[in-house]
Amino acid sequence: MQVITTDVAVIGGGAAGCYAALNLSKRGIKPLIICKGLVGKSGASLFAGNLVISGRALGNSEENARNTAEFLIKYHNQFLIDQNWAQRCGQWVEKVYYPELEEAGLYFRRNDAGEVVTSPGKIRSIAANVQGNSGVPFMDLRRKQVIKAGIARMEETLATSLLHNPDGSVGGVFCLNYITGEYTAVMARAVILATGYSDRLHTRSTGTREMSADGVALAWRAGATLLNMEMQWWHTNDMAHPPSWQRMQIYPNPMLGSQKSARMLNSAGEEFFNQQQDDPLAFGPYTVQLKALVKQVRAGKARYEGGYYAGFDNCDPAEVETYTTYGKTFRQLGLPFPAHMAETAVSSHYRQGGIDVDTTTMRSSVQGLYAAGGVGGHSNGLIGLATYDGKVVAEGVARDIATLKAVSLPQPQIEAECRRLDRLRSSSGDGPAPGRLKEDIRAVMWEKVGVEKNASDLRSALDDIARIRLDLLPGMKIRNTGKSVNYEWLDAIDVMNMIDVCELVIHSSLERKESRGPFIRQDFPLTDNDNWLAANVLKKSGNGLRFEQRPYDMPLFTPGFSRKDNLEVAW
Amino acid sequence: MTLVSPGDAPVPVPPSVDGRRLGQAEQHDALAARNSRLIPGELLTIKIRRSEVPAGGDIYQEFQVPYQKWMRVLDALNWIAENAAADLAFRWFCGSKMCGTCAVRMNGREVLACWEAVEPSMVIEPLRNLPVIRDLVVDRTRYEDKVASLEPWIERHEPYAQFPEPLTHKQMKDASKALDCISCMCCYSACPVIGLGNLTDFAGPAPLVQLGQTALDPRNSPGKVRRSLELTGIFNCVSCYKCEEVCPASIPIVSRIIEPLKAKAAQLVPEMAKHSFALRDIVAGRGRVDPGELVLRVQGLRALGNLRRILRLFARGKINPMKTLLGTKTGAAEAAGRLLGNRVGKQ
Repeated sequence: MQVITTDVAVIGGGAAGCYAALNLSKRGIKPLIICKGLVGKSGASLFAGNLVISGRALGNSEENARNTAEFLIKYHNQFLIDQNWAQRCGQWVEKVYYPELEEAGLYFRRNDAGEVVTSPGKIRSIAANVQGNSGVPFMDLRRKQVIKAGIARMEETLATSLLHNPDGSVGGVFCLNYITGEYTAVMARAVILATGYSDRLHTRSTGTREMSADGVALAWRAGATLLNMEMQWWHTNDMAHPPSWQRMQIYPNPMLGSQKSARMLNSAGEEFFNQQQDDPLAFGPYTVQLKALVKQVRAGKARYEGGYYAGFDNCDPAEVETYTTYGKTFRQLGLPFPAHMAETAVSSHYRQGGIDVDTTTMRSSVQGLYAAGGVGGHSNGLIGLATYDGKVVAEGVARDIATLKAVSLPQPQIEAECRRLDRLRSSSGDGPAPGRLKEDIRAVMWEKVGVEKNASDLRSALDDIARIRLDLLPGMKIRNTGKSVNYEWLDAIDVMNMIDVCELVIHSSLERKESRGPFIRQDFPLTDNDNWLAANVLKKSGNGLRFEQRPYDMPLFTPGFSRKDNLEVAW
Repeated sequence: MTLVSPGDAPVPVPPSVDGRRLGQAEQHDALAARNSRLIPGELLTIKIRRSEVPAGGDIYQEFQVPYQKWMRVLDALNWIAENAAADLAFRWFCGSKMCGTCAVRMNGREVLACWEAVEPSMVIEPLRNLPVIRDLVVDRTRYEDKVASLEPWIERHEPYAQFPEPLTHKQMKDASKALDCISCMCCYSACPVIGLGNLTDFAGPAPLVQLGQTALDPRNSPGKVRRSLELTGIFNCVSCYKCEEVCPASIPIVSRIIEPLKAKAAQLVPEMAKHSFALRDIVAGRGRVDPGELVLRVQGLRALGNLRRILRLFARGKINPMKTLLGTKTGAAEAAGRLLGNRVGKQ
């Protein structure tokens, strides 16, 4: 086993983690990035399609600026957001984020005349090089900045547990490099969780292969408070086939340099979503689309698993392909583009909720533990927001670091963790393989904790997950007992995190007795602002959990109604 | 209106494909065309090169995998890991041609597993030119270190003014192509010069594309670009277009990245381009290649040190000292001079 001492351990190599590490390093505080995948090549940030223009940047009008704020608060977060944080974040994105990125060399797509190309509409966005692929050059730049700054990285390395001081504060991380099979104890004065938005807890999920809700699971075990774990976003039009393309989206967003964008057809060939008509303000195509699909499914004209279609048959190919990557899927399948529409299905996407943080410092409720970006529960998914969190957490840690303490090699914790991991690698029961268990868990979530939820399905899902935990997990059989590049071992470790977090998601879903945006309860169809315009806060108590409600401060926008059928609410 | 068809009906194969992409020919190669004959459930035969040979077994282990609609190589690998070989090691993260970590060789050609359609009979091997860690997982360190040593980041010659800075797509045309790179290493595996190992100091196509992102960006300072180019051994590139042929991101690696970088090197680090300049001058002056003169110009008197080689070249008629010394011209000299700009020396 290797032992490493650093000032701050940053778990996650996406937009938030990289930016936090860069910012800390600039302050002379030594970060170490621990990344389950490869820094900049795994995680949610890679998928950023475009960058939303904030405030008055790039000729945004006062109206545009206001629209962007409204989009974020209403359509992106259904009011479950800290509006003060949103305002600070918006100002930073406008004044610092774009110039800083451009100065570092990021190429915001221009036309030949030198104008930055934007999408039309009431909310405008830009792209790094190509729309649909912005995350690639963006994160590639971050990876290079991290290398240039000489920041230490541990890649293809999984944080398996947090290490604690005797007073309960977090002061380190235990990890496994699954390429070499080597354990490392990292002693750090602060730990930043930056593991991203997506969890891959459903049969069909976006995100990268390694995701399994690790950040939330580690935080919960450390005693951190969570919130809004039930708030799950969905992609409504991802490729139905093949399985590995389940996150390949036929983007519904407005396109750069065009007045048109994708449309969707039900099984009868009837159009049921066209961004230009159904969401002309382009406020929130994802939620609007999802609600449109729910109506089709209820009418028997689509299934969440497929049987409906999306594409660009209303556009000229040049219109789509000048600034976007959207044609690539169709072309790779040999489908005439854009004449053919592809069969699509739903995939679970971002989790809006996550770890509860003080949004001015990104402190969690556990001393020494911080959370930044998508794993936090204070907002939902845009790469600029995650980056802003990276800045805030670096400031927060810098402020606190003198008072924080790294663990001093806690032998009992380390030995227990080594034993647990060794045991998992030699799981020799007669039950299912770890990979099979992951699929079983995802199937339960897909079938009973999917787009439309109700109390009886949710309770039944809890039973199923309990059965997996109590009956199947002890008999788990690992077929590969090698140490090096053993993905089955990784699966065995993931299973535990997934089970824990799924239970939290299901409990939280049962607790929120209303429907709100993408959170749809068949048994509580109304959006209920009288009772639920509040964070659904989840706290650990003894061996169990308890919920609290925490209302939001709403200085900028308010819903303006009490109760209404969620499917009739625009956001 | 056509609602889907994939898998249901064969899609017509276009009569012609871009010659430069013959190896990949996306339309022709696409799943619907190639596998219209495959029906779900039909068995594919897949041989995978493993790193540990089972007792009495073959290093190529064979699997039968049932075809699924629109199946990718990655789907087949996932099926095998789940159902037949839990210890099969292969790397992937995004499954959608963005992370660039799942590249393998399929039937002798570099492909992204997440992107490429399966074939009824496939041999899957790890990428070449990178050490194999296990099965299909390669060690990317060699590439990563090379990229880092080139310091592919921007050093501005003028202070950054404000967002958005003056810049046109025309100026970024080549750099923009390089920015499509997902560093999947397909080109690095396909490159025959990299395959020569330490015989050359060639950085390889992938690191050059990474460098091209900033070296072909007009905002970067020439001094910075020069320092990076010095470390590339770029003139070892033989312009065979193998890299371009396999690039899953369709980057014109030779024509839009390496050639422009060579032009920059010739301008900023002329001594690197000694061979190219000499060749051009000889052709411009004589209307033909004179290998003897080329060797003398590039290696100088050092060339005379290897007498045995000289004799061998002479014996095989590769060099002709008389012709070299007398400076004979062919009738093509005038045309060659006109085409190449009849100038002797640098630039």
